[in-house]
Order: sequence, then C-alpha cells, then structure tokens
Amino acid sequence: MWLPILSLIIGLSLGILTDLEIPNQYSDYLSIAILAALDTLVGGIRAQLQNLYDEKIFVTGFFTNIILAASLAFLGVQIGVDLYLAAVFAFGVRLFQNIAVIRRILITKWSFPRKSEKRTIK
Amino acid sequence: MEMITINKKGFIFICFLFGVMLAIQINSLKKEETVESQDTWELRQKLTEAMKTESNILKEIQEVDERLAQYETKNAQSGRSILQDTLNDLRLEAGLEELEGPGIIITVSKADEFINAGDSNPYISPSVLRKLMNELNRYGAKAISIADQRIITYSTIRYIEGETKVDGFPLKNFPMQIKVVTEDEESAEKLYNYMQVSTISDDFFIDRFNISISEPKQSITIPAYNGDFHIKSMEIVN
Repeated sequence: MWLPILSLIIGLSLGILTDLEIPNQYSDYLSIAILAALDTLVGGIRAQLQNLYDEKIFVTGFFTNIILAASLAFLGVQIGVDLYLAAVFAFGVRLFQNIAVIRRILITKWSFPRKSEKRTIK
Repeated sequence: MEMITINKKGFIFICFLFGVMLAIQINSLKKEETVESQDTWELRQKLTEAMKTESNILKEIQEVDERLAQYETKNAQSGRSILQDTLNDLRLEAGLEELEGPGIIITVSKADEFINAGDSNPYISPSVLRKLMNELNRYGAKAISIADQRIITYSTIRYIEGETKVDGFPLKNFPMQIKVVTEDEESAEKLYNYMQVSTISDDFFIDRFNISISEPKQSITIPAYNGDFHIKSMEIVN
C-alpha cells in the first residue's frame, strides 16, 4: 500500500527538484500521456481489488496506452482534427468507471469485513 | 487499508514514472507563465517607472501622515481651519478654483497653406484633442484649459454639428490657446521637452492645424471650471 505512494512521492519530488521541463509544444502530449497513465494506474488498482491483476498486462498496458494516446494526439495535429479529445474521452470515461468499481468493492468490503478478509489476497 | 495491497515491483515503478511525468508537466506549465521576452532596457524602464510610482506613493503617504498629525495636534478651533484648507485643496484639485503656476502654452492655429478657397472650415477632431490631453496629463500637467475652458475630470470633448465642443463651448476661434500648468518649473521644463518630441503635432497637421509650443513660463493662470457638476449617485446626508 505505502510503497506505491512512496514511490509516487519520490518520483514527484525528483521531477520537481531536477527541474526537468519539456518544450511548450509537447506539453499537450505529456498531458494526455499523464491522463493515460492515471487511467492505467486506477485500472491496476481495480484489477488488484478484483484479483485480476497481472503485472505483465499492467506494465505493457501502461506503455501502450501512453504511446497510443500520444500518437493519436500527434495524428490529430497532423490531420487537423482534435483527435486527442477521443483519447481524453475514452480515458475519462474509463477512469470514472474504474473509480466507481473501486468504490463499490471498498464499500462491500467495509460493510462485510469478515468476507473481505477471506477475499483479500496479497 | 490492508485491502489495497499492491506491492508489485511493476506497479511501484509505474507509480514512480507517473510521479516524474506529473512533475515534468507541472514544471513545464510553471515555466510557461514566466516566459521572459523583454530585453534589459525594457526591464530597466519598467523598473524606473515602478520606482517613480513608489516614490509618488511614498510622497502621498507622507502628505497624508502630515495632515493626520496636524489634525491630531491642533485643537478644535484650528481643526476647523485645517478642514477649510482641505476643502480648498480639494476645490483646487477638482478645478473649481483659479490656478496659477509655471507651465507652457500651446497655440493651435489653422494651417492656412493647406486650406483652399471653398474648403469647409477645419476642426480639431476630438480624438486628437483627447490624445493631447492624455499626453499632457501623462507628462505632468496639473491643470489644463482649452480656449480658457478649464478641463476637469468630467469635461467632455465632442464633435457636434461641424464643431468640436469642450463642455459645450465650441472651438471655432483660431488661433486657440491650450494652457497647461504643472507642479513646478522643473516639470514644466520636462513637459516642454516631451512636447517637443511628441508626434501629436503630426496628428494636428492631418486636421490642417499647426501647433506651436511656448517655452516654459513662470506663471500661467488657468480659470476655474464654470459649469455644473452632475453627480448622480451621491446625496447630502442630513
């Protein structure tokens, strides 16, 4: 539980401290990549709660999503259609769905603590 | 919180990556706001302006403080006279009193060489006049009169039926004098220099007028405002 959050904080502080920055015109791509990453992370948490978590699928999904989202945005710029909106929409919808699923699972677990103990697998 | 237990290396690594990405984005967006596209001289100029503003504000604070001290130290009787002083100052500032001081006189005359027989009478367009007012005010004018019409905060400069009118007074007798009074002789000198390099004369020239700017004078008298104040949203408290 705490290790992912700790590593997130380490990553954040490392990024801020090193003062890394990307050129202005690429910040759109990075923002969509961040959205994709967020979606994948939430998806991973949901999968873990449903005992469906597979590390290979998760890690590959993370990179594929980012690359796909960024290339979709790139293609959109090239052909003059705001294609990145498609990515924003897709990830956004899935983000909410995943969060809803997580919420349901957590509510169930907190409502029936005995059952949850059995279900929780480390 | 045991139930969310994802201590997988991949997940931890990706959390780390996500953090870095987020940080980079935050960094980039932060930099965006402070893009510096000014050179040293522009910055210097801005600094000078800011310092001027600062000194003006400090001066104002000082004045107000002095007045406050006066109020505090004097007894009720003389307190009245201070109120009277304040009132006089305000009247002076509002343009309700005649004002005398150093300044310059700008004379506007028709550019006869450009006026052919049969041409309609030239008039000064209100926008040029307003631009002149703005320039004068910016460069240190304390009080302005156009053709002996005192310009106050409420003054209107409008074009009505072939004539440009200042507070309803038509500007049709040329040459016409625009009198400007400044705080002191030094600022009169400055104003004079500014007006020498100003492009406002070109604007007047387009309207077929010549302007000439007098050397700074020791004493110029500007008449009081003779119109009414129309204050809509104020009333006397009984």
